[in-house]
Amino acid sequence: MSGETVAAQAAVQSAPRRKRSGIADFWAQYRRRPYGLVGLVMLALYIAVALAAPLLTPYDPRKTEFFLADRLAAPIWARFVIPRFRNAPPTSRYTIHPDQWKVERQERASLSFEEAGDRGETAVIRFEPSSEGGGGARSELSWRVHYGFNPPNTFEGKVTYRVEAPPDAMTQLSLAIVDPEGKEYDIWGTAVYGEQDWTTAGLDSRDLQMKTRLNMTIFDDPAKVIFATKGDYRLVLKASSESPSAEARLFLAPAKFNILGILHGLLGADHMGSDLWAQLVYGARISLIIGISAAVIGVALGTTIGIISGFLGGPVDEFLMRVADVFLSVPTLPVLIILSAFLGKNMWNIVLLVAAFSWMGSSRVVRSQTLSLKERAFVEAAKAAGASDAYIMVVHILPNVLPLVVANMVLMMPVAILYEASLSFLGLGDPRIPTWGRMLQNARAFGAFTELAWWWLVPPGLAITLLSLSFTFIGNTVNEVLNPRYRERS
Amino acid sequence: MALLEVKDLKMYYQTLRGQVKAVDSVSFEIEKGKALGIAGESGCGKSSMAITVLRLLPGNGHILGGEVRMDGLDLLSMSEEAFRKAIRWSRISMIFQGAMNALNPVHRVGNQIVEAILTHEDVSRQEAVDRARRLLDMVGISPRRFNDYPHEFSGGMKQRAVIAMALACNPDLVIADEPTTALDVMVQAQVLRAIQDLREKLALSMMLITHDLSVIAQTCDDVAIMYAGRIVEYGTATEVYKKPLHPYSMGLVSAFPNIAADKSPVRSVPGFPPNLVSPPEGCRFHPRCPLADDRCKTEEPASIEVGGNHHSVACHKVDVTAGGIDIWV
Amino acid sequence: MGFRTYLIRRIVYALIVLFVILTFNFAVFRLMPGDAEKMIIDPRFSPEARMALRKQFGLDDPPLVQYWKYITSLLRFDLGQSFATRRPVASELAERLPNTIVLFLTAFTLTMIIGTAVGVYAAQHRGTFAETFVTGAGLFTYAVPTFFFQLLLLMLFGYYIRIFPIHGTMSAPPPDGAFLRFLDRVHHLILPAGSNVIIGFGSWALYTRNTMLEALGQDYIITARAKGLPRRDILYHHALRSVLPPIVTLIFLSLPGLVTGAVITETIFSWHGVGRYLMDAVLQQDYPAAQGAFYLIALAVIISNFMADLVYGLVDPRIRVGAGERR
Ligand SMILES: Nc1ncnc2c1ncn2[C@@H]1O[C@H](COP(=O)(O)OP(=O)(O)OP(=O)(O)O)[C@@H](O)[C@H]1O
Ligand SMILES: [Mg+2]
Repeated sequence: MSGETVAAQAAVQSAPRRKRSGIADFWAQYRRRPYGLVGLVMLALYIAVALAAPLLTPYDPRKTEFFLADRLAAPIWARFVIPRFRNAPPTSRYTIHPDQWKVERQERASLSFEEAGDRGETAVIRFEPSSEGGGGARSELSWRVHYGFNPPNTFEGKVTYRVEAPPDAMTQLSLAIVDPEGKEYDIWGTAVYGEQDWTTAGLDSRDLQMKTRLNMTIFDDPAKVIFATKGDYRLVLKASSESPSAEARLFLAPAKFNILGILHGLLGADHMGSDLWAQLVYGARISLIIGISAAVIGVALGTTIGIISGFLGGPVDEFLMRVADVFLSVPTLPVLIILSAFLGKNMWNIVLLVAAFSWMGSSRVVRSQTLSLKERAFVEAAKAAGASDAYIMVVHILPNVLPLVVANMVLMMPVAILYEASLSFLGLGDPRIPTWGRMLQNARAFGAFTELAWWWLVPPGLAITLLSLSFTFIGNTVNEVLNPRYRERS
Repeated sequence: MALLEVKDLKMYYQTLRGQVKAVDSVSFEIEKGKALGIAGESGCGKSSMAITVLRLLPGNGHILGGEVRMDGLDLLSMSEEAFRKAIRWSRISMIFQGAMNALNPVHRVGNQIVEAILTHEDVSRQEAVDRARRLLDMVGISPRRFNDYPHEFSGGMKQRAVIAMALACNPDLVIADEPTTALDVMVQAQVLRAIQDLREKLALSMMLITHDLSVIAQTCDDVAIMYAGRIVEYGTATEVYKKPLHPYSMGLVSAFPNIAADKSPVRSVPGFPPNLVSPPEGCRFHPRCPLADDRCKTEEPASIEVGGNHHSVACHKVDVTAGGIDIWV
Repeated sequence: MGFRTYLIRRIVYALIVLFVILTFNFAVFRLMPGDAEKMIIDPRFSPEARMALRKQFGLDDPPLVQYWKYITSLLRFDLGQSFATRRPVASELAERLPNTIVLFLTAFTLTMIIGTAVGVYAAQHRGTFAETFVTGAGLFTYAVPTFFFQLLLLMLFGYYIRIFPIHGTMSAPPPDGAFLRFLDRVHHLILPAGSNVIIGFGSWALYTRNTMLEALGQDYIITARAKGLPRRDILYHHALRSVLPPIVTLIFLSLPGLVTGAVITETIFSWHGVGRYLMDAVLQQDYPAAQGAFYLIALAVIISNFMADLVYGLVDPRIRVGAGERR
């Protein structure tokens, strides 16, 4: 065997051996650095939150879950911290089952219950046919609810019903709220001529319809007026029917009544009444995915370019480095803004764009490392042994630049996260996914400022800050351990 | 009275691993007009000693004892400001080990000399400029290069410019810390010749630190051999070269069968210099000494004078070494 | 290599970048999927007007001819007409440019002065609070997203303690009298410029401190000390003067970042400038406007990069009087 081949083999073996012993070594050195550990713990926390998101919140912000609470609801704990929220209502949701209605009055009508297929149990009010001049049949049902908070901003409800009656019949249905003092507010009503299949009527204190019905202007707030005092309220359902020819029947499925809270969840609600805590928690997933994938793609690109440029040298090197220079002197954010506006608001577009504009740094570092590796004995030996360029680049150079690459990758992540956050903040993010940048944008666009809703603003901002900080700590520590020569640079 | 008197000087660096005993009870004297050579392995504390004398210690270096006197004046107890004005450069100047980098790249060479003159002497700028030009001329640099920047000078020229700068305020003592190491052989010879000429012309006192014993042989009157923070042998150059008494000096000197021969590097004595944080017990040289016995391992040898002429040595085995046999064979 | 050669190289380089950006601008707005006409001509125009514009923009020409026309018209600052306002984009930009310049010149100057001063101070006072402060401020710059910090300031000082205006460049209507009007502008400037300064000065200070410390450890500083120079001279005349080239370069190199940051700062504080113009144009799909604003921003970036090179060459004698290139 010639001396050169022996040397080549020794070189081939040297790289993996170095690497294996390296990992234990690396950890032994890494763990001695407090900043590195703090960074790791923080990152672990983020990953845990991202993975456990469905366990941490019952809501899923990727679905449209609106009006879980009032718009711009404050967090539950605001009750203890901010005086104006001391006795503010949380969200109360009630489902009124047919058997929960209490009969107040019945004239020529009777109430019974029956199973109606997929609607479950329904209440059936039977109205006797109206006799000549004898007037209609009527029924009045009520349901009691206690309200013990300051006035809410909004209440809403749903009534689901069906009418079975001859064509000449007219059935009327209305809802009223009776306050503790006995004042009655007529909030909703409808009239059915003849028959009607299952219908769900929504009622909402923000609707102009209800305000008109209550003789209020659009600027008035029915919820505030009606629930002005604490005490027992009654929801009264009045039904009547004039059916000359035959019996009329009104079926009632379970009804809903919700008082939307001014307080909601851990972080309150946004302008659509969606849960902010859920957005924050799921945002961790998105940020990690975007940061990690953009950094991995960008640095992989940079490493490839760096190795090729350094190893091949000559005009290829000159060309690639000029390209890197041009990319470096282009105003990144404006380019990203224009391109993401053109390519469409899509998360993977953003990832690819950020990657495409962040490979230059790593390609330079890797190139200079490759230049010095190229002169080393094991590369010379492999060349002498007839290894192809590609083989040498992958087997000999790549493992040796990996430490640099890893550190670069970690340091790239916060940059990618910040770019994504900036784009989302500017309204160029993917509208279908909750990100911290979009939370901030929403906060700005939809009234967090006038309401001083700092709980909407601070958590996503802080989440971004701390995540970048943890990546920075880890990246710097990895750099210190793996690349002591580069330590002074940063 | 000697011009510079150093007695029991101790200077340690405080580091995370402990105190680096870089200068440990060092004593020597330099008479007016004489040159003292200091030789020793890399890392034995030569530069540390030099910067201790000029009080240029980095933040972690502390003087822990001893005295430095110049014409009887205690230099260590002077205030920083007084020392700066009265001693630095005006009485003691220094040519640094990294003299290639001793010139500030953003200032013109000439101005860097002028600056030293104007700091210490009450002369007009024009006078200072004239003197700087003369100094450059003296070290063999055309005064027309006065306005050049350091990067326009060759290595040898930079070094000579630094020497000119060291002479700017007519100092009594010049400390030269390896003034020639960074230069190639031809230039080394030039620079050394320049130093020698100047010394003769100006009757300068000098402390010359070097790896290269032949340099000391050519230029110095006295020589001190340093090992691990201490001076192990001290005497006139001729005597130490002719008849070294410490096993370490013998090792160094035996590399020069003919003192005047062309320069060769310090011959390496087998073994490695000790760690100065926890130097060996007893004689610090014992782990590398072929003569070492149990006494050498436990008892520190005191410096004893041998045969008059201030030739002193710190070794338990003087009787053996004085016999003149070559112990390094 | 002489300064002349250096200069020529940098000019050629800047021109290459300019060319690449122009081409990018051309390509994005014409070669992207979709109808080029829709991107360049407002679909709401009447068919006759559209035809006229097609001719004006030369959309019926072959791409290379289009490219040539495009380049020449851009170089003449003929940036087309905005869809939204029907006014020439160039004059809309000219209206906004002074506002952007005022904002960023103020922020930039203050950042630089405060950052450098704090950095020099911290380099002199090692191991004191100043050092911790600078490290912390540097980390702050690095980790805190500018827009988050600006939103916080806006909420705090614009909405909670209402001491600063929440949007705009000046009050409407502006107060009477030149001096009051000036004060009114300054009042509007404080939050947008101040937030940039607070975010930015930390990394500056840290950089200055690090390079100063590096310089203070150089042989020529020890020489200066040995020469018996007073402390102040060593610090300013030797250390600071020798780190000036990298610092000045960095000053100019940080300009592109500021120009880029303009988009966000101006959006947040509704500043009537070029950055917000770009953002509005993009969101309203006003393509000529977006293209024009992008062109202007890119031009500013190229110019400041070029100035960085130029100033570096002037400050560092190694380039000014020959010898090697940068890096
Ligand atoms: N600032 C410092 N802090 C801690 N230790 C130091 C410092 N400077 C020097 N040392 C240590 O002090 C010892 C003496 O260093 P010094 O520079 O005086 O050696 P030297 O004899 O001049 O060596 P050389 O011939 O290589 O110049 C060495 O072990 C060195 O590592
Ligand atoms: Mg030394």
